[in-house]
Amino acid sequence: MRRDHLLNASERWFRLLERLYPPDFRDEMGNGLVEAYRDRARTALNRGGIVRLATVWVRALVDSVRNGPGERVSPAVSWRRSGNWGRDVELATRRLMRAPMFVVATVGTLAVGLGLFAVVYTVVQKILIEPMPYRDPGDLYYVWRDYGPIFDLKRGWLGGTDIAELQKAGGIIESTVGLRRQLTTFAAREGGDAMEIAAIITSPNLFDVLGVQPALGRGFAANEVGPKRPPVIVLTHELWKRLGADPAILGTLVRLNGTPYTVIGVMPPTSAFVQHASLGSPQRADAFITFDINLAETNPNGGSYAGLTRARRGESAQSVANAVDAVGRTVDARDFRSRGLKLYPVGLKPDLVAPVRPALLVLGFAGVLLVFVLMVNLASVLLARVAQREHEFAVSRALGANTAAVVRATLFEGGLLGLCGGIAAALAAIWGTRTLIGLAPLDLPRREAIAVDWRIAAVIIGLGVLLGLMAAVAPAMWAARSTLASLLASSAVRGGGGHGRMRRVLVVGQVTLCLVLLTTGGLVVRSFERLVRADPGFKAEGILAVRVPIPPQFVPQAPDVLALQERIERAFAAIPGVTGVSATSSVPLTASANQNTIEIPGAPGNTGDRARDSPLVDVIGTRARYVDVMGMRLVAGRTFETVRHEGVREALIDTLLARQFFPAGDPLGAKIPYGQRGAQPLTVVGVVEQARLYDVHQDGRPQLYVRAEDWGYRTLNFVLRTGRDPHGLVADVRSVVRNIDPRLALADLRTMDEVVANALRRQRISAVLISGFAFGALLLAAMGLFGVVSGSVTRRRHELAVRLAVGADHGRLLRLVVAEGAALVATGVLIGAPGIYVAGMLVRGVLVGVSPLDPFTLVAVTLGLGLVAMIACYLPARRVLAIDPAQSLRQE
Amino acid sequence: MGMDRDRRGGESLQPLRRVEFHILLSLATSERHGYGIIQDIAARDETAVPDVGTMYRALARMVENRLIQATARRSAPDAGDERRNYYRITEAGLRVARAEARRLEALTRAARLGGLLTKDAK
Repeated sequence: MRRDHLLNASERWFRLLERLYPPDFRDEMGNGLVEAYRDRARTALNRGGIVRLATVWVRALVDSVRNGPGERVSPAVSWRRSGNWGRDVELATRRLMRAPMFVVATVGTLAVGLGLFAVVYTVVQKILIEPMPYRDPGDLYYVWRDYGPIFDLKRGWLGGTDIAELQKAGGIIESTVGLRRQLTTFAAREGGDAMEIAAIITSPNLFDVLGVQPALGRGFAANEVGPKRPPVIVLTHELWKRLGADPAILGTLVRLNGTPYTVIGVMPPTSAFVQHASLGSPQRADAFITFDINLAETNPNGGSYAGLTRARRGESAQSVANAVDAVGRTVDARDFRSRGLKLYPVGLKPDLVAPVRPALLVLGFAGVLLVFVLMVNLASVLLARVAQREHEFAVSRALGANTAAVVRATLFEGGLLGLCGGIAAALAAIWGTRTLIGLAPLDLPRREAIAVDWRIAAVIIGLGVLLGLMAAVAPAMWAARSTLASLLASSAVRGGGGHGRMRRVLVVGQVTLCLVLLTTGGLVVRSFERLVRADPGFKAEGILAVRVPIPPQFVPQAPDVLALQERIERAFAAIPGVTGVSATSSVPLTASANQNTIEIPGAPGNTGDRARDSPLVDVIGTRARYVDVMGMRLVAGRTFETVRHEGVREALIDTLLARQFFPAGDPLGAKIPYGQRGAQPLTVVGVVEQARLYDVHQDGRPQLYVRAEDWGYRTLNFVLRTGRDPHGLVADVRSVVRNIDPRLALADLRTMDEVVANALRRQRISAVLISGFAFGALLLAAMGLFGVVSGSVTRRRHELAVRLAVGADHGRLLRLVVAEGAALVATGVLIGAPGIYVAGMLVRGVLVGVSPLDPFTLVAVTLGLGLVAMIACYLPARRVLAIDPAQSLRQE
Repeated sequence: MGMDRDRRGGESLQPLRRVEFHILLSLATSERHGYGIIQDIAARDETAVPDVGTMYRALARMVENRLIQATARRSAPDAGDERRNYYRITEAGLRVARAEARRLEALTRAARLGGLLTKDAK
């Protein structure tokens, strides 16, 4: 008895001494240490009684005083030397390796979600944020004309005289170049294959203004401009590559519309240059030549040049605007009798990205929401994992394991998953971005620059880690709190531990975010659907369009051009399967037309307000039967007939003009003065609805259709209607034109369906991406609900069995469990409602024909979310049907 | 001791500390628990018996270096049938112990050649 007492006292002494060792060491070795001392104490007691035992006590004290702090100062084991993280890494990694399916699922979800985000982030970063590949791009501005009260054109080309004036200005405006893009027929050598290229005609200092220099050869010399300039050309890298990437191309002759030009330089691949347009999207360039005119001597009334200005380094946008405005006032006073013309600059980048900005912002917003959804999802997944180890945590904490270790392990697990997810996402994004660029509209600004680079990859991986860590915070906090007492309490009550409550909170968060994303997606998709269903004013299916420029160098005389166009049209009409052929100067939805102001003297709709009575209209030249071939709608009168009415210059007006000038009366027969003073006026022979030139869903500027034959259009777009797939006509179209004149180049050979699709491509990409985000979020929310309800059924098994035993039926229990899930969904929806409003306001800018609070969309989204949520609740809840009260209660 | 540690960085685990070599020697014949190792060392060389703390720190280090591994807790006949943690030598531990033995043998041989040891002083 006394011996046991002594041994127990010894053990207490050894346990006391054990505390000198660091906790980690105690966790691992403490028991062995104390047991070995006890064994030694027992032996000592057996051999030499209490004196020997006292010696053991003293030796244990000396030993512990030496080794305990010694172990603290220089831990024996490497993970202690490198700190606790080392061990956590090892433990967490091992734990994760034991659950490969979990890792694959989690990392996969992160990879897809973060990957989508990364694609959007790349596009936003490259287009909106990164500087353009020019020297001090912030100092570059495009200058446009605002005709103010003169007529309704807020963004017009500059006159050559304006550019000359800007060049003279000096001061803040350091230098200015004029730009004019011209589609020309290009041949690498005499008689070579003709192709159409976009040549930029410009001032010789363009490259100095941009701050880029040719990679091969030289740029233009200051004197290589004007009527006597030498014909020299600088090629873009792309055109040079298309021609075979031969460095010996310098000094060779190429032909533009038959005129020989000497190649003096090739631009580097990085300097892809697009010329901004007054209307429509920026346009790519293939080659550069200089003006063969003197800009200062051009007609100041018409605008046909883009003006690109470099401001003095670091000048504010406002001072640049003031300087340009001053030049504008000079121009207004000199050329417009001070009627109110204004010039204004727009920064190169804002000018470029303005049209895509709202769409990108919406995508960015959706992407951020998606990241939040991912984070909440990861948090609930980690929480579920931690909950599985509830016992382990509680017991080890009861045994003295420190809280920090549990928190660290959980955090590390989240971080590690986030890291893997981030890396996978970065890889997915590289592929995804390429795919997106494949889908993207050709004019997506800075398209060539859009690719994932290492910085973006680093940001995505970092975001993955951060997301993992943040997602792990909630479970880690919970794990740190879980104690044996709480575990016992919760298992006694069976009402669910703290993690249950936390999981429910997370699910509510998921539902909220999901609702907002779904609403955004729903609105964008519905808007897109409106666009697709919009009637652009013509019937696109079954039409092939092709542009055939006829340069004056090939066919100098206007009557010959007309004859050639007749021949082409007849040859096209003879192609088997073609049911109708016509031609136009402006293909619908391409934003390319000449603008002019018109007046209709004597029309009843004239108000006497000069600006209102001389509207700016798009002038479109067409050949006979264009309205019929395109499937446009004739409202009154007749269209242009094949037989020309001698002595009449026919015109069609659109319903906008008809309503403005003839609100009640009949426009047919009205005369419109057009062309040179004293020339024969146009006679209105019909009224049509617009074949829309700009947007699919709304009318643009008023349209005036004139007969192409009357006005000598050299470049016409032929349109061929067929009952079959228009692609089948392509080969015939090519051979027909080659047979007529092999020097003629065909350009923009495409179906009208493609033209429409191209006009909608930006919206289509937004719709596809956002609905992808929204469905991903929906899926994650459904998974979260499923988990919560399923966990709840497991936890409440006992309670449910009791309910069954006292008389509830299974259906009632099912309703009970489903109602729990439904309450979470309802809470999420209620919290999400203000979010819907905010999201609606954010996306308003990209919506067409849909209100941001469109009731149909809101109801459909809420019902859809509710339905999916109910299914996610119902499936796991059905397990209550399998509860057998007798069996369940016996198990307890 | 502190200097020992620096020399033991990297791949090479040699030379072993004295207590580590004794532990390997004890475990080379059979699995033992902590006090069993102490008893075995005492039987071999009373002066080499380590303090319990010193030994357990060595055990922790050697488990970490995979020279030995802990086996399942089971009752120990020599400790009043109480349950004890047993340790077992690993393949790597065996290799290290052999290498250490060879090293010591070579040193002994050198000492003998140098006249520090006479044959019968063995």
